[in-house]
This record gives sequence, C-alpha cells and structure tokens, in this order.
Amino acid sequence: MSALLRGFVYGLLVVNAVLLTSAVNIWFERKFSARMQSRVGPTRVGPLGLLQPFADVAKLMSKEDTVPASGNRVLFTAAPLLATVCALAAAAVVPFTPDVVAADLDVGVLWVLAVGSITTIAIFMAGWASNNKFALLGGMRSIAQAVSYEVPLVLSAMVPVVLSGTMSLSGIVTWQSEHLWIAAWPLIPGLPAFVIFFLAMTAEANRIPFDIPEAESELVAGVTTEYSGMKFALFYVGEYAHTLVGSAIASALFLGGWSGPMAATMPWLGLVYMVVKTLFLFFMITWVRWSLVRFRSDQLLAICWKWLVPISVGLVLVAALWVELVPGVH
Amino acid sequence: MGVDKPRTSLPLFDEGGRSYEHPLYDKLLSMPGLSVGVAPLDRLLTWGLTNSLWVFPMATSCCGIELMAAAASRVDLDRMGTFYRGTPRQGDVMVVAGTITVKMAPRVKRLWEQMPEPKWAIAMGSCAISGDFYRDLYPVVPGIDTFLPVDVYIPGCPPNPESLMAGLLELAAKIRSEQGKPLTAPVQKTGGLVATKPSIARIGDPERDPSLSDQQMEAASRAAESPVARPAEELEMPPVPETAPGTVAAPPTFAPELVELFQAHGVVDFPKDAPPVVPLARHVALARALVERGYKQLVYVVASHWLAGKGRSGNVAGGPEHHEVAYGLRTVGPKRGAEGGSKLAWWSVRVEAGGAAPTLAHVIAGADWQEREQWDLVGVRFSGHPDLRRLMMPDDWSGHPLRKDYPADAHTAPWR
Repeated sequence: MSALLRGFVYGLLVVNAVLLTSAVNIWFERKFSARMQSRVGPTRVGPLGLLQPFADVAKLMSKEDTVPASGNRVLFTAAPLLATVCALAAAAVVPFTPDVVAADLDVGVLWVLAVGSITTIAIFMAGWASNNKFALLGGMRSIAQAVSYEVPLVLSAMVPVVLSGTMSLSGIVTWQSEHLWIAAWPLIPGLPAFVIFFLAMTAEANRIPFDIPEAESELVAGVTTEYSGMKFALFYVGEYAHTLVGSAIASALFLGGWSGPMAATMPWLGLVYMVVKTLFLFFMITWVRWSLVRFRSDQLLAICWKWLVPISVGLVLVAALWVELVPGVH
Repeated sequence: MGVDKPRTSLPLFDEGGRSYEHPLYDKLLSMPGLSVGVAPLDRLLTWGLTNSLWVFPMATSCCGIELMAAAASRVDLDRMGTFYRGTPRQGDVMVVAGTITVKMAPRVKRLWEQMPEPKWAIAMGSCAISGDFYRDLYPVVPGIDTFLPVDVYIPGCPPNPESLMAGLLELAAKIRSEQGKPLTAPVQKTGGLVATKPSIARIGDPERDPSLSDQQMEAASRAAESPVARPAEELEMPPVPETAPGTVAAPPTFAPELVELFQAHGVVDFPKDAPPVVPLARHVALARALVERGYKQLVYVVASHWLAGKGRSGNVAGGPEHHEVAYGLRTVGPKRGAEGGSKLAWWSVRVEAGGAAPTLAHVIAGADWQEREQWDLVGVRFSGHPDLRRLMMPDDWSGHPLRKDYPADAHTAPWR
C-alpha cells in the first residue's frame, strides 16, 4: 500500500472516529454532569438519551447562520473551521496500534505541539472577528493563557522525548513498551511531567478549571458569544475533539499508548489499551470540570509561571541526567 | 399537574410530519426523485428542533427563580435536551420570565431580534402574560405580546418548574403541528411597541376552574383590562394627623451633641417623628459640618411632592405647592465598643415649586445618583448637580411619575 493511500484511509478513519467519539463524549459529559448534580441528564432522545448530540446537531443545522454586521466575515467563518481542523490534524500522528498511524512523522511531538497551539489563533480570530466586547475579551484571555501554558506543555513533553531519544510518537510508545510507562518508570521526571502535561493540555483545550476564555458568568459565552448554528457546533465539537486528541497524546507520551500485556502478540489488544487510556484521561478531565470552580486570570497565570514552568524546566534537566547516569535507557 | 392535552411522550419521529415552505426546499421537492430524499431530512430537522430546544432565559424577576429550579435536580429540563445558553445567538426559545418595564422592553425586543431563526417565545408567569397586578403601573408593559410574537403562555405567579416543562412540551407539539409554515417564519417587523397577533397555546393551570373555556378566560382577562378613570380625590394624600409643634426633645436616634449643631444652622424645631427642617441656605454647610464630625455615609435622599394646601405635619403644613427632600447621614465605625454603634443624623429641606435644592454631590459622592433618582421620579431640582440625567425611567420619558399631579391612570402613559 502506498503511503499516500494508507494515510488517506487511516486519516479518514481517525477523523471519523474522533468526531463520533466527541459526539458520544458530549452525551457522556451531559449525563455525567447530571449525575454530579443529582439530575438524570438527557433521557428522551434515543436509548438513554444517546442521540441527544445528534438532535442538537440536526437543530443547529437548521438554524439561521448569523454573521455580525460589523464583524469580519472571512475571519468569522474561518475561525471555527480552523479550530476543528487543527484539533483533528493533531490526531494524525497518534499511534493507535503499532500499525494504525495516519502519518508516522519523525517529528510527531513537534507537529502535535505546533498544530495544537494554532487552535489559540483560531479562538482569537473568533474573538476579533465577532466585533463583540465579550468575545474580544475572551480571545485576549485565550492568548494570555496559551502564551503561558505553551511553555510547561512543551517542556513537560520534552521529558519523554529526552528519555526515549526520539520525537516520533510511535517511537516513544515503542520505547515505553520496551521499558515501562514514562509516568511510572523514571518516577521523578516521569510522573510530575505527566501531571504538568495533563494540566497544561487541559488549559490548552480551555476546559474548567482553565476555561476563562469562555467564562459564562463574566463573558456571556466568551469567544462563541456571536456564533450560532453550525459554526457554534464546530466550536463545540472542536473543543471536545481537542480534549480527546489531547488525552490520546498524553496517554501515548506518558501512559504507554498501545503498550500493555500481550499487546505485542495481539495488535488489536493494543488498540483497546490505547482507547481505554484515552477515555480514562478524558473521564478525568470531565471529573475535574464538574468538581472544581474556575481559576481567576491572575491565579491561572501565577500557577503557570510560579510553579509549572520552573518545575518543568527542572524535570527536563532531571531527564537528561537520567539518560546520562542510568545505563540502558537508550 | 393537569395539562389540557397531556403529552407525556415525545415520539422519536413525529408521524404527522411537517412540510417547510422554503424556496430551496420547494425547488428540491418539485424535482422528480428528490422528494424521496428531502422528506426524511425534513423529519430529521423537526426531530432535532423539538428535541433540542435551547432556552435563552430573559429572567427579570421571581419567575426567574423557578426558571433556574427547572434546570436543577427535581425537574431537570436537560432530560428533554433543554438547557440555557447565555447568548441570544444560541437560543431557540426566549423564555420571558418576569415583569417587563417600559425601559426593559426595547432591550428584550433587541435580544429577540438577535436570536437566529427559527425561534420561539414563551411568556412565563402572569406578569409576562398580562402585567398582572402591575399592569396599571406607569412603567409596566401589560404583557410581552404587545411587542413579541408569543407562542406559549404559561400562567402562574410564578408557574412552578413542572409548568415550564409542560410549556416546553407544548411548544414542541406546536412545532411538530406547524403544517405549511415556512421553516424560517418571517418576524413581524414592528416599529416600536406595536402589538402582534400571537398564536395562543394555553397550557393547564392547576388553579384554573376547569369549567371555564379558553374563550371565557380570555373574556375575563379582557374585562379586567378596561381602563378605569380614577376619582380626583385619590390623587391627593389623606390628611396626616397633626403632632404638637415645638417639641425640642430630639428623637432617640438623634445624637444629643447634634442638637446644638443643628440649632446653629437655623433649626428651631425638632419634631418627634420627622426630620427637622433646615433652611435651604444653610443646608450644604450643615452637611459639611456633619461629614467633618464623622457622619460620612449617606443613607438616603428621599423627596416627596406636596400639592398646594397640603404638607407634612408640623411647621411646614399647608402653604403653596412644594417638595420636601429628606437626608440621612450615618457615622461609620466599629459595631461595638465605647466608640461603636452607628449614629444617625437626619434633616429635610423644603423646596418651593420652581425652586431647587443645592446639591450635596460635591460634599458626599454618594448623593450624585440618589439625587438623580429623586429628580427623575419626584421631579425635585438640584442646583449645581454635575450630571442631572434620568436614572430609572427611559431617557425620553416625559414627566416625573411620583409627582402628586402625575396622571395615575397608566393608560395615559405616553408610550401606550
């Protein structure tokens, strides 16, 4: 099979799987939040309310598509597309099994970090193009947040890269299948780096407690204030896709990805491991979201610059020392 | 609760169907073969619309509490896919919950126009339906259907969360039954507050007499609407029993050391149950002296309007038409201890018709808005005020509604 055809087929599969899982995750989050608040959540549409996200999408498709008269029409339309496409593009390098990778890039980690951070630009585009004070404030907060949290995100992602000696996500997972999960084996740079990556990734995806760009209590609906219909749906699904892909990347970088018992002999088991780990991380994010309250802007930046950045710099140094001092890492 | 037409189940696909009259849609339908594909799409959209009614809450008063309760544990509107979006761009149903005032109505209308089609409106509670017992008040809109095309009325004061849910189910049934209406119903573009003829779907009210038909209920509510002219006597206040003037003893809340200060500023009389009257010329000087003594918090500025021949008991009774403006200042300090406890100083000034009271806004910053409010509502002027604009009433309002000579019959209010 030529690389192009293979990439196309797997890409189609991955994109559809991510979008479908995002829709189901929307249902899951509504049910989960309902249980957290002693409610029951959607029950009327389909079994257990499972078709609720699809009813929402059908509704949103039939809604009028509004563009603010004084807004920038091109940017306004491009922003939700860019946000969703970037979240999906990052999924291209995620290894689901040793073979199922849409594009096994040598610089997979770099690709993920680069493409993932374009989402921020999409959010700021939305805020700017809306010509709405709430949307603009949300966009500016998003920039401030992203500029800060990119730093610990990149630094903590450097720990697996330094340890395994490769920037390919497949290579990192293979290294973990030969040694141990990075979150477990060199416990000192591994586990804290995982926690920092997880926090920074949550912030990148604008999820509570880091969701100040769309803080409903202050900013109406933040950057999505002016969005209606399918454009809003794209933002809505894009946020979930971003979270989901972020979870997949975190589990590939730190939790061993498809590696696990018997995975070497039965590749389909590797897919199961990968999906379970990804969904577990997504579940953790949902759990945090419905348990905690939102940080203030200053708290958010203080946590990043006073704690996460210095610690993650130290962790990269520890990882380098580990590679130098412990025999048999590479 | 009892619902006229109980709808306890929402079918996944409504078999009755709904045909949208949409230009593109009509063309598609007329093309041979394509109608096979479009009809299921139509059903799919109706299914989506009825199962995903996102509410844009327009909650102005107590009905809003029930609106919130409807999303909480016991009722949980999320069961039927309804939740609240804070931006009109993402709302499908505007639920107007509470009294809408004349100043609020243009904002409500504007938010309604910002909602994308297709959209629906629900009038929740008596005030949104008709204004209820506020309907004759000068600033109250007698029902939001004077400027919004309401789809469902939910009676109650306030309606309980179950009623709101029943109303939303009724709306879903209405959407399903809307045969032959275009998908994007054209909004009746009305200039200002012009009545539109809404389609009425009343849902059951547990308090309602079951023997009354909808038409009888309508007739009863219409009969209650007819304007009743008020007798002129009602415009004036009943006479206040006179108290003996000349009582020097200050009321218990009046700090004794202030009596001297007040006398130095021209106060001759300390009534038992009313503020002492200070001459207009000494008014600002007194306020300054009080602030220097620690009376720094402005508790209130209250004005009242008196027609000729009327007035407060005591030394200002009778005489020409005038305003009386009362001020209250309070000390700020610890609650307990020797220096603790808050002390109150109060006084009033008398402003003749056509005159003005010197403003206190330069002495105490808090007086700024309070004086604006008193000018807006009671019509007393404040000379030297930095920014004497309307505060409560709309900018284009004429008159001051709490003046005794203001036409109390709200049907003569300028906007009606």
